[in-house]
Amino acid sequence: MESFAALLLNGLNSSALILIAALGMVIICGLMNVINLAHGELIMIGAYTAYGVTQSLGYPFFAALPAAFAVTAAAGAAMERLVVKRLAGRPAETMLATFGVSVVLQQLANVAFGAQSKYVAIPIDGKLAFGKVVVPFYNLFTILFVAAVTAGTVLLLHRTKFGKRVRAITQNREMAECLGIDSSRVDTFTFAFGSGLAGLAGALAAPVKTVSPFMGGPYLVNSFMTSVVGGVASFFGTSAGSLLVGESTALIGGVSNDVLANILVLLLIIAAIRFRPEGLFAKERR
Amino acid sequence: MTRFAKIPAARYLDLALFLALGLFPLTGLMFYTQLLQKYMVFLIFAYSLDLLWGYAGLMDLGHAVLFGMGGYLMALSLSARSGVPEFMARYGVEQLPAWLAAIVPEPAAVLAGILVPALFAGLLGRFLFFSRVGGVFFSVITLALAQAFNLFIQSQQEYTGGFNGIGGLPGLSLFGRPLTLAQGYYLVFGLVLLVYAFCRGLTASRFGLVLRGIRENGARLEFLGYDQARFKTAVFAVSGALAGLAGVLYAPVNGMIAPNDVGMEFSTAAVVWLAIGGRGSLTGAALGAMLVNVLGNALSEQFGAYWQLLLGAALLAVVFFAPQGITGVLPRPGARSSPGKAAGKRA
Repeated sequence: MESFAALLLNGLNSSALILIAALGMVIICGLMNVINLAHGELIMIGAYTAYGVTQSLGYPFFAALPAAFAVTAAAGAAMERLVVKRLAGRPAETMLATFGVSVVLQQLANVAFGAQSKYVAIPIDGKLAFGKVVVPFYNLFTILFVAAVTAGTVLLLHRTKFGKRVRAITQNREMAECLGIDSSRVDTFTFAFGSGLAGLAGALAAPVKTVSPFMGGPYLVNSFMTSVVGGVASFFGTSAGSLLVGESTALIGGVSNDVLANILVLLLIIAAIRFRPEGLFAKERR
Repeated sequence: MTRFAKIPAARYLDLALFLALGLFPLTGLMFYTQLLQKYMVFLIFAYSLDLLWGYAGLMDLGHAVLFGMGGYLMALSLSARSGVPEFMARYGVEQLPAWLAAIVPEPAAVLAGILVPALFAGLLGRFLFFSRVGGVFFSVITLALAQAFNLFIQSQQEYTGGFNGIGGLPGLSLFGRPLTLAQGYYLVFGLVLLVYAFCRGLTASRFGLVLRGIRENGARLEFLGYDQARFKTAVFAVSGALAGLAGVLYAPVNGMIAPNDVGMEFSTAAVVWLAIGGRGSLTGAALGAMLVNVLGNALSEQFGAYWQLLLGAALLAVVFFAPQGITGVLPRPGARSSPGKAAGKRA
């Protein structure tokens, strides 16, 4: 029972990381119908920013979080302006181009920082212990921080004028444009915001995972699976999707091994798509 | 117009490439002959992806999974020719499992290496396409599959050699007789020609026409009474068989196979070949595969990461300035609109 609780908490931690990594992708995909194959590299940029701010510049980790958001958001905005916008309405080409961007970003990181993994010290020491169940404080921080960021994102999209515009374009781009919304600007801002979230994910993951030029791949796949499971229509779907992916990976991994868990979860997701292509938690299509 | 003028310029490129490949061993450059032999295996792989992506519009980001199935089955068969291979013995496997014993004979291994990926692709296609999973979802799922397959291969250490893969494999042989480099080279060359002829025939047939129809407008094809799911599944299976064949050849030609050859990395490499060379003409696939690999071999040792950087930049440049790849820039008789416009309509 205690080990089950430990697994569950562990799963909650990885769910939180998956959620914040996937959130940006879901917002971008929902608004612009763009599959960004460089999403993993945006996470990598966030992780390297955290490394640079804490290890090279010597600032505390809590300064690294906003820095990672800002740097990745800027990278995302540039990417949207220079690449994605020019290929609007051509999803297959956009996918290829973003893949090109991912290769370029990986190699730039490789040239700049070398292929070796970098490490970021865990900013909060200590752990909480209930009998055999041990939870590092940093994991708690991660979970709470992600919850706060998700809540903030929901508020941004549902309580601000900017969010209203984003939702209007998501529902019907042409109609929104007719009503005078500058969809091009909203696209850029949204892409930047989604990228910033990816950067936060990278910075949060940096202390517990390794930082390397090629770290993005698994994050990309996880974000994909989450958005596929949850659908791109709602935050509830994304949150539920990441919980499902994170928890089931942790739980299956607990009774067998991580690899088998990853494969099983993937197969389950493929099966899920087979029957609910819009995502498990999507509302009926209009 | 004379019949002569109607042959697309691209066909001359095919001819030139095959002539060059056919004559190359005469130069006597052993090292490069061996290298080209490997690239010819990649050529078959590129053709198989072109059938799927170029003709049917299904962008498979995990095509190396199918390649890897053929490759690993062949590698296992080769390494188990004289009893339990060393890497298995290290993990305490004392007797060959029945499935492995069954593929030890060469014909069985070749057959399994082609049929298993074909069957896998067929089943996956049956599962996905009949639920209308298409477009980018297909790419997303195949990408995730590549990741999972790579993990799977790495985790099954006792049967796959784990991270190190299976090495020390003997070269190509035919009916149990080992072949010299020249013989092996021409065996692969002959197979490339066969696969090329097969793909040309297939894409020129009614089947190929339907595939192109699905690529351009699947719904319209449905109205005409064609079940697109059925056609997509069929082409996925055929493409799987060819990818498997490439894998079967790769194991002995390369002398080893490792998880890197079967995951995201190699899958996306093939996507880059096709994007740069051009899709939907077979010529572009061949051109891209040869160009990227030959240049990569020449440049990557000197420039390392910069070569990959250049490749990424080249991919971006192609998407923006030549969406149909290098071959798209060539004149094509009977083309109604410019290549750029045609690509713009395709989604």
